Amino acid sequence: MIPPMGEPAGAFHARFERWARRVRRRLALSYVLSGFTYGLVLGAAAAGLAWWLRAGALRPWAVGLGVLGAGAALAWAVRRRFSDQEVALYLDARTGGEEVVSTAVELLREAERNDPARQLVVTQAAEHLKQVEPARVRPRVLARRHALGPLALAGIVYLSLIALPRVPEAAPPPPGAELVQVDELKGLERIIQLTELDARDAEQRKRLDAIAKEAEKLREDLKQGLEKREALARIARLRDQIQAEKLSHGDAKNRAGLEAALSKLRENKLEAAAKALGDGDLTEFDREMQRLANQAEESARDAAKEALEQAAKAAKERGAKDLAESLEEQQKRFEERSEGAQALRELGRQLGERLGEQGQKDLREFGEQGSPEARQRLAEALGEALEGMTEEERRQLAENLGKQLEQGGGGAMSPEQLKDLAEALKDPAKRQQLQDALKELGQPQGSDDSRREQGLDDADRGGGEAQKGLGVPTPAPGQGDQPGQQGQQGPKGQKPGQSPSQGQSPGQQGGPGSDRDEGEGDHGATGKERISGDELRSKANAKWNKEGGLHGATLGRSSSSGGRETANQRGAGGLGRVAPQEIGGVERSEVPEEYREQVGRYFQP
Amino acid sequence: MTAATSDLAPRDLEARLAFAQGAATRLREAIGGVIVGQSAVVDQTLWGLLAGGHVLLEGAPGLGKTLLVRTIASCLDLQFSRIQFTPDLMPSDITGTNVLVMSATGGSTGQFQLHRGPIFGQVILADEINRATPKTQSALLEAMQEHAVTIAGVRHRLDEPFFVLATENPLEMEGTYPLPEAQLDRFLLKVLVPSPSEDELTGILARTTGHAGGEPPRVLSSAEVLELRALCREIAVAEPVLRYAARLVRATGPEGAGAPDLVRRAVRFGAGVRGGQSLVLAAKAVALLEARAHVAFADIQRVALAVLRHRIIRSFEGEADGITTDQVVEQVLAAVPTRPEPVQQALEAR
Repeated sequence: MIPPMGEPAGAFHARFERWARRVRRRLALSYVLSGFTYGLVLGAAAAGLAWWLRAGALRPWAVGLGVLGAGAALAWAVRRRFSDQEVALYLDARTGGEEVVSTAVELLREAERNDPARQLVVTQAAEHLKQVEPARVRPRVLARRHALGPLALAGIVYLSLIALPRVPEAAPPPPGAELVQVDELKGLERIIQLTELDARDAEQRKRLDAIAKEAEKLREDLKQGLEKREALARIARLRDQIQAEKLSHGDAKNRAGLEAALSKLRENKLEAAAKALGDGDLTEFDREMQRLANQAEESARDAAKEALEQAAKAAKERGAKDLAESLEEQQKRFEERSEGAQALRELGRQLGERLGEQGQKDLREFGEQGSPEARQRLAEALGEALEGMTEEERRQLAENLGKQLEQGGGGAMSPEQLKDLAEALKDPAKRQQLQDALKELGQPQGSDDSRREQGLDDADRGGGEAQKGLGVPTPAPGQGDQPGQQGQQGPKGQKPGQSPSQGQSPGQQGGPGSDRDEGEGDHGATGKERISGDELRSKANAKWNKEGGLHGATLGRSSSSGGRETANQRGAGGLGRVAPQEIGGVERSEVPEEYREQVGRYFQP
Repeated sequence: MTAATSDLAPRDLEARLAFAQGAATRLREAIGGVIVGQSAVVDQTLWGLLAGGHVLLEGAPGLGKTLLVRTIASCLDLQFSRIQFTPDLMPSDITGTNVLVMSATGGSTGQFQLHRGPIFGQVILADEINRATPKTQSALLEAMQEHAVTIAGVRHRLDEPFFVLATENPLEMEGTYPLPEAQLDRFLLKVLVPSPSEDELTGILARTTGHAGGEPPRVLSSAEVLELRALCREIAVAEPVLRYAARLVRATGPEGAGAPDLVRRAVRFGAGVRGGQSLVLAAKAVALLEARAHVAFADIQRVALAVLRHRIIRSFEGEADGITTDQVVEQVLAAVPTRPEPVQQALEAR
């Protein structure tokens, strides 16, 4: 601000201040109008966009951009307010003042300079400002660009009033494509539950989580709608990944170790266990181990334990670390199971006739079979017998146990076990604990691997259920599910009607059987028969593998998944001829995409 | 109003300005009595005279450069000296020298006496200055810058006003020595003397082929010239005008902010501080001649060519492309805005 001075300076000051206010006010107004105009232009563009995107409610709000622009411009104008010197330069330029106003402003501000020309220049500047015509000099508020404002406003109004564009009809799906939209595809949740399954290690944890996540994503995609072919392909991929997890003991890394472990088991006459392990059926393997641990004969148990130890050692030596750990876990459990079985047997013997007829039968069966089911039945029978005893009978049983303890003979039970049992019989509170312990002993004691495999099986079955839910034909219930129902001829002279998964436990799914081999041919394959015939000139002299066919892990299929191995997916079905590299062949083939589904269906069991 | 400002008599300054304007008019008329046309050259020479600087006149032979200088010197009632620069001219031929004083008998008195050279004048015509060697040209440096000469270790002040008007011929290159940059920088203005128009030439022919005309009248005394020079220094310059001059000077250098592309390409060195000072002083002289107590942007623009053209050193590329320093200055004038950007935008808003 210029300091007021004497008369010429005062006159100049008053005139200049009036002009400065006018210039600043009009410039600010022009800025605001420009901001409002640009805001409205932007608003019109935004309204157009909203109209195009069918966001009808947003269109009138586009005017707000104009207000916003005006506000921003006002803030800018305040920030860029002209200084006195800038106003003076503006006035000089507009009035042809040859910088007399600018010079006067500066000379007045710097009074200490005592410039000899000040008085004259200020007087001349005051005179100059007096003669200025306001209309010629004042800044223009309206500019040509401001004409855009009303146009933009009209555009916003128009865009706000007109009807929204019609929603374009969806393009017809390509030939062969079928869109499926399912809110909740049954079966997928069983794959998603893999997140709760105990993994063998961190690597497997990651893989299982990835499978579950992919299943979850598939479920979400199906809610939105997905091409059926893609949905099926994704489910098939999920099942392949689940199968791969199940067969991980037989993969390339563990193959040598597996072979060595199997060899040791076979050497020790544990054929059934070797078969189950070789097929990658860890549930069956665990069951077999339970049966062996329940055996009454101590020598047989020791032999089985020794075989297990040798197998674990062999697997470890051949680098199959995971398999070795599994076998070691079995070894540990073998001990526990063995002790539990002995305890049950001893208690049964002590109870004698108090077991009742059914209990006696269960005790005999447990001694003969040693199966987990027999063990469970025996434990239940023992519990019922203890429950039904009178106080006198219990006291007598406790005394017997005490005498036995004094004589130093506990049979299969240790002195501590005998002592605990006797005390439990006397004390009502401990009797309940004894009941609970019996229940626990009767429960099937599966290994971690077994539980893991059951979880994977469950997930796989969930995948199958999901495929079925999407309309993929599945084998008729019971067809090929029962061993021997409709099997194919095995490579080693299996009898007609036997399935390749012979030896699986009841209830496990077998293959559906091959439609090419009715199972009636004579593929004796004893290794002794020769082909005779004048027309045949084959010089083939192949030797049969007398030890049996290759196990499932080597073939790349699992016996427990049951009957669905095709060129589409991994499995252990009746086809039984699909080499590992043929899995997923349809997807990799040059079959045109629109026909892949049909071709895939053809290869479904 | 402060005491300092109230003591000032604006009418006094106004009267002095009016006197200056009248004196300039009279001077123009007096020169016009001898010189036909060349009003721009006369005006520019007057800028140099009022601003207290020296002027280099460049033009082809026969354009009346020497006559112009002689006429100005006659009008000013100042002591005039003419130095004809030749290749064999020595510095002492300009400054003077000490000579041994001889007795009446012809023997040596043992005393030296200063023989003043032609530099000891007030209006010095350095005719065809580029014909002398750089060494001799440099003899003018001290005199032009400090208005003093040193002879045999003794410094002699020159009489004021001291005003050098040098001429050079741009056509003849044989046997000439281009002025060194330091020497050129001492000249406030470099004025190009154009060829006369048809009317002017007709007037010249008429005036110079008859009876010889009389001497021009003496218009200004030495004291009046000094008064006008002092008045020139009192002209006020607003800070935006000074800033504009500074921006112009900086833009003449290739490294300067706002330098146009032509400058970056064709210029090796631009004008320096002395160039800026000369710009403002010459602009003040322009304002004085128009009886204004302040300088306008237009004044700076008017003097820019004469002030800056000899201070710009072209690069090899500039010389090879035939780009003149005048073109460079014109580009700079076109590229550098006079007012700050917001003001310029407000003025251009339509």
